[in-house]
Amino acid sequence: MPAAGGQKEGQNVRRLVVLISLGVLLAVSVTLAACGGSSSSSTNAGSTSSSANGKPLTIGISLSLSGDFSDPGHAAQKGYQLWAKTVNANGGVAGRKVKLKIVDDASSPNQVVTNYQNLITRDKVDLVFGPFSTLLTGPAASVAHRYGYAFVEPAGGGPAVFQEHLNNVFFVQPAPTLNCGDPFVAYIKSLPASQRPKTAAYPSLDDPFSSPIADRMQKAFEAMGIKTVYKTIYPSETADLTPVVEKYVAKKPDMVVAGTQSEDAYSQVKAMVQAGFSPKFVFLANGANSPTEFPSKVGAKNTEGIFSCGDWFPTSKANGNPQFVAAYKAQYGGTPFDIDSTSAEAYAVGQLIQAVAKKTGKVDNKTIISSLHSGTWPSVEGNISWNADGSPQGSDMLLEWVGGKLQPVYPPNVALTKPTSPKPPWGG
Amino acid sequence: MHLFIQACILGLLAGGVYALMASGLTLAFGVMRVINVAQGAMIVLGAFLSYTLFTKLHIDPFVSVVLLTPLMFLVGVVLQLVFIRPLRADEREELSLLVTWALALGIEGLLSVLYKTNYRSTITSYADNSWRVLGYHLSEVRVFAFGMSVVILALLYVVLTRTEFGRTMRATVQNPVSARLLGVNVERVSALGFGISVATATAAGAVFGMVTPFFPGSHYDLISRLLSIIVLGGLGSLGGAIIAALFMGMAEAVFAAEISPTWSSFTFFIVLIAILLLRPQGLFGTNERGAL
Repeated sequence: MPAAGGQKEGQNVRRLVVLISLGVLLAVSVTLAACGGSSSSSTNAGSTSSSANGKPLTIGISLSLSGDFSDPGHAAQKGYQLWAKTVNANGGVAGRKVKLKIVDDASSPNQVVTNYQNLITRDKVDLVFGPFSTLLTGPAASVAHRYGYAFVEPAGGGPAVFQEHLNNVFFVQPAPTLNCGDPFVAYIKSLPASQRPKTAAYPSLDDPFSSPIADRMQKAFEAMGIKTVYKTIYPSETADLTPVVEKYVAKKPDMVVAGTQSEDAYSQVKAMVQAGFSPKFVFLANGANSPTEFPSKVGAKNTEGIFSCGDWFPTSKANGNPQFVAAYKAQYGGTPFDIDSTSAEAYAVGQLIQAVAKKTGKVDNKTIISSLHSGTWPSVEGNISWNADGSPQGSDMLLEWVGGKLQPVYPPNVALTKPTSPKPPWGG
Repeated sequence: MHLFIQACILGLLAGGVYALMASGLTLAFGVMRVINVAQGAMIVLGAFLSYTLFTKLHIDPFVSVVLLTPLMFLVGVVLQLVFIRPLRADEREELSLLVTWALALGIEGLLSVLYKTNYRSTITSYADNSWRVLGYHLSEVRVFAFGMSVVILALLYVVLTRTEFGRTMRATVQNPVSARLLGVNVERVSALGFGISVATATAAGAVFGMVTPFFPGSHYDLISRLLSIIVLGGLGSLGGAIIAALFMGMAEAVFAAEISPTWSSFTFFIVLIAILLLRPQGLFGTNERGAL
C-alpha cells in the first residue's frame, strides 16, 4: 500500500466524489429540464388582420419537430399539411391559397414563445395555428392573445390553458382533456348495481394530462359508492412500475382506473399480466387508445376488454372525416387505424377556419374569434362549441378493445358496438 | 409482509442487472481513474442493438448478448484509444468527465437520428410469463436477466482473480507505477479494461431493453443511478458496486411498494447524499487505491 501517497490519494478520491456528485446533479437537471419548463413574455398589444384577395393566406405554426413531443409534433404537421393541400386543391380559403410557415420549437415552452412572436411580428403571418401539448399551448396562446390573433389549437386541452381566460383560444376537440373519463363513469353508472365494481384502484402518472383525469373519475365513483382501495401518483421517471402494480394487486380491486400517458400504461398492463391479476374493469386514460401501438406493446391477446378514451375515431362519420381518412391514406399510405388522432385534430383546426370563411366570407382574426364564440362548428372531431375560455362543451367517447379491435362503445349515439364487461382473463 | 417480500424479490432481480451495469463503470474508474459518464449511453446503445437484432433478425436478446459483447468490446478498446488515452494523465479524472459526457451526447444524437425519439421495448414471446413460487411470482424475463448478470459477473471475477491478465489489471488498479516498473503494459491493460467496461454495458443493455422501455435519452436517468451505486459501493470496488446495486434495487422497489413511488426514484439520491456526508469513500472504498 503506498502510504506516502495516501493523503493525496484521499484528497483525490474526495475531489472525485464531488465531481461525480456534480455529474449526477447535471444528469438529474437534464432529465428534469426535459420534463418541464416555463414561459417568457414581452409587451405590446394590437391586432392584425388579413385581406386582399389573391394574396396567399399565410399561417404560422410552431410545432415540436424535435425533442420530447416530436412524434405527435410530426403527426400534427401531417394533419396541417394535408388540410392545406386539400383546401388549395379546392380553391383555397375565401379565394386565397393557403401557405403554411411551420417552425420547430424543439418541444420547449421558451422556444414556442419566441417562435410565435417571430411569426407574428417579423414574418407578419395572417393567422397562427396551435402547437402540440398543453405545456406549449399555454404560453403560445398568451403571445397570440397579446397581438389579437385567434388561437385555434389542436392539442392544448389541459386546465392550464383555460385558466388563462383568453378569449382567442379554441381547443379543437369535443371535450377538455380533464373530462376524458366522463363517458366511462357514465357507462359504469348505466350498469345495474350488481354489475358495478365495488372497489377501485387509481394509479396515475404525475402529469397535467393524466392524474387530474383519474382524480375527477375517483370523485365520481366514490359518489356512486365505489370504495377506493388504492391511489398513488408516480413520477414520469419511474423506470419500473411493477412495485406499484404489486401494491394494488395485493388489494384486489374490481376496477383499475389509471391516469396514464403511454409507456406507463403498457408497463402497468404487462405487470398485471405477469402478476396474473385481471380486474373486472380496466380503464387507461391514454396509451390503450392507440390502435397500433398498444397491441404491439402489451400483446394483442392482452388488450381485450380494456377501456380508454378518445376524441376521434377513423370510422367516425363526422363532418369531412371520410374524406380526411381517404386523403390521408392517399397522401401517407397505411390503414385508417394507423392515423394518429393528432393528425385529425390538426386537420380539424384548418376545417374550422375554412368554415368561418365560408360563412362570413372573411378570414381575419377578429372575425374568426367572434364567429367561433357563437354557435356550433362542424369538423372531423364532431360538432364543437366553446365557452368563453375556449374550453369545448361536448363529450369524448369511450373506446374499448372488443374482438381485437379498438371501437367506440359509449355513449350509444357514437358507439359502433356495445361495451362488454367484465374484462376477460389475460390472453383472451 | 407478503408485499414487502414480493418487493424485495423484485428489487433483488433488478439489482442484479444494476450490478452488471455498474461493474463496467467501477472497473473503468479502478483501472484508469476514468469516470465514464457515457456508461448509461453505452447501455442504451446495447439495448437498441439488441432490439434491432430481435426485431429484424429474430435473435433472442440473450443470444444477442453473445454476439454483441465481443463486438462492443472492440468498440470500447477503440474508444479508449481515441478519446481517453490522449488525455493528460494528471488531468485524466476531470477531463474524462467532459470527454465521456460528449461521447454520451454523441451516442444519444446518433440513436435519435437512427431510431427517432419514441420509446422502444424488446418484447419476447416469454415476456408475459412468470413462475409462482410459495405465493410469490417471479417474472421469467427478470429471472433470466438476473441469472445472466450473475454469470457475467462471475466470469469477470474469474478473469480478474484467476488469469494473468486479471492479475495485471488488479496490479494496475493498486499501483500503476509499480505495475509499469514490473513490466505490465498499463496502456494495454487500460484499453482492454475499457473494452470490458463497454462489453458489460452492452450485455446489461440487452436485458435492460427487455425489462424497461427505453429511448435515446434514457441514459441520463441511468447514469445518475449508476454513479450513485458506485459511490455507495466505493469507487473502483467491484464487490462494493455489486452489493450497493442489490441494496439500491431492493430499496427502490420497497419504497415504491410500501411508501410511495414518488420517493422511490429519490432513494438513490438520498443514499448518495447520506454517503457523501457520512462516508465519502463509500461502503467498501478507501481513501487510497485498493483492490478491485
